[in-house]
Amino acid sequence: MLETVVQAVINGLLIGGIYALVSIGVTLIFGVVKIVNFAQGEFVMIGMYISYFLATYFGIDPLLSLAISMPVLFVIGVGLQHFLIRRVLGLGDMPQIFLTFALSLLLMNVALLLFTANYRTLHTSYSDLALHFAGLYVPVAKLVAFILAMVLSGILRVFLHSTDMGKAMRAAAQKPEVAMLMGINPDRVFCVATGVSLALAGAAGSLLMPFYPASPTAGQVFVLMAFVAVVLGTLGNIKGALIASLMMGIAESLGIQFVGADSGLIVVFAMLLLTLAFRPNGLAGGSAR
Amino acid sequence: MQRLCSPAFIGLAALAGVLIVLPLVVTSHFAIDICIRILLFAFIGVAWNLMGGYAKQLSLGHAAYFGLGAYTSTIMQIKFGISPWIGMLAGGVVAMLASLPIGAVCFRLRGPYFAIATIATAQVLMLLFLKFRDFAWGAEGTTIPNLGNTPLMMQFEAKAPYYYIALAMLALGLAITYRIERSWMGFYLVAIGEDEDAAEAVGVNAPQVKRNIYMISAFLTALAGTFYVQYIYFIDPNTAFNFNISVEAALVSIVGGIGTLWGPVIGTVLLEVTSALLQSWLGSGLGGVQLTVYSLILISVILWRPTGLLGVFTDAYKWIVRAPPAREAAIDG
Repeated sequence: MLETVVQAVINGLLIGGIYALVSIGVTLIFGVVKIVNFAQGEFVMIGMYISYFLATYFGIDPLLSLAISMPVLFVIGVGLQHFLIRRVLGLGDMPQIFLTFALSLLLMNVALLLFTANYRTLHTSYSDLALHFAGLYVPVAKLVAFILAMVLSGILRVFLHSTDMGKAMRAAAQKPEVAMLMGINPDRVFCVATGVSLALAGAAGSLLMPFYPASPTAGQVFVLMAFVAVVLGTLGNIKGALIASLMMGIAESLGIQFVGADSGLIVVFAMLLLTLAFRPNGLAGGSAR
Repeated sequence: MQRLCSPAFIGLAALAGVLIVLPLVVTSHFAIDICIRILLFAFIGVAWNLMGGYAKQLSLGHAAYFGLGAYTSTIMQIKFGISPWIGMLAGGVVAMLASLPIGAVCFRLRGPYFAIATIATAQVLMLLFLKFRDFAWGAEGTTIPNLGNTPLMMQFEAKAPYYYIALAMLALGLAITYRIERSWMGFYLVAIGEDEDAAEAVGVNAPQVKRNIYMISAFLTALAGTFYVQYIYFIDPNTAFNFNISVEAALVSIVGGIGTLWGPVIGTVLLEVTSALLQSWLGSGLGGVQLTVYSLILISVILWRPTGLLGVFTDAYKWIVRAPPAREAAIDG
């Protein structure tokens, strides 16, 4: 019994690392640009397809293709911010919600047209490897993905705290007007924030590829998880999003283990609704808006 | 008397006349099917627009009420033999009651997070209906027994009666919207939509107004759910709680003109006709075309015409009706 619980916790924790990359991206855009990016999951999906095609046509390992998917998604993010999101800033909720929502629909359906609804799996040399100890089972691909996800989150933290651009971003997140008075160009900061956020989504996609099938709707689960994690972890709070994502992964995995295979999502949604009912400002408190 | 002669009234009467005669003229099953879809989704759009358009509470979970309406009437019909006409009203009441706890939770959040919370409620309901097979047939769903031509059980052999039911529902939705638009509640809704804190500061009881409009919107959406499953003779959780219903409800209103009486209707006509044309040109085999086009239309509307396409038509109408010689004279003078 204890072993099953520990095993479920390990499985959840490992996938929670991927959720964390997506959630941190969502919360970064929300914190800096004040936009909820409904299309974040579709950028995970794009990252998955980039790694899939690089692996099938050029034999590049998905973990190495991180070096390609992240910069590509960064550029897409800068373009997204500059050409689309910038135009709806300050226009109220409707355009802001439905622009990225429409983008999500668009990307999903264009992917459906281009790649069909088929699931595409990638088999790497380490896809079936696993570590065994004390009756527990840790798949290597997931472990590597988790470690890299944590490393990337750590790098982001260093970037936000010790580079000029990172500090400018945090300043713009806290008080945009004051940041502008200090000579920070908000457009540039917003572009970088969206770019970094999408690069994290792309990284999540590449890291998923060795053990998770790519499909046009693959990003949906991750973005839903991210939204819940971002609310749980207090909007705009990166550390909160990280911890909440790991918790969500564990909760989902325990739900699958003890309630039934298709109830992982019920557990997650129930968590969201309970959080909203009892701690609408997230577990860490602070303001919801 | 003067009101009866106003151009708006004459136009409305002419439109009603055309819509009533239409099924007598159009006999193609495909065409009438599209008309029914347009009327139905325009009605769902109108229901969404009451809350999403006027009060700007942008729900993406109206499928929850559509599904509750559909399941209530179907369960009552199959398990207890109660007519769907009664089931329809019962479904509306169930949806209204369900909107209370759902609203209590979701209204704690504003803007994008309200939208996300509503997505979650519809998904939870879908997952519950998938899970509980003893209660409501689980994932396989069920077909609704075909009793032949029995108007009392909302079953007809011809398509025209369905058309008239959908038309009547849309007329009801528009009439309710018209009344609300001109009532105190309408002003409260618009005030909340513009700035909720300011509205509360001048004495609008925002939580109560939002709760009431959510109940009305949920009730109407549930009627559409009952009608839809009676029309297609089939129900399963994926049909009844389909996310696309939530999306389309919001989409038609935004494309047509959010927070306007006729916006959802214009939006539905535009989107459904586009989709029908695409289907006849490309065939229905290519998955994704329809939503690709929808999302492109939505993005264009948001970037260039965020008040919706209704504005384009009213501008054109004003330009034609009052092509202003007076104004030109004023400029010359």
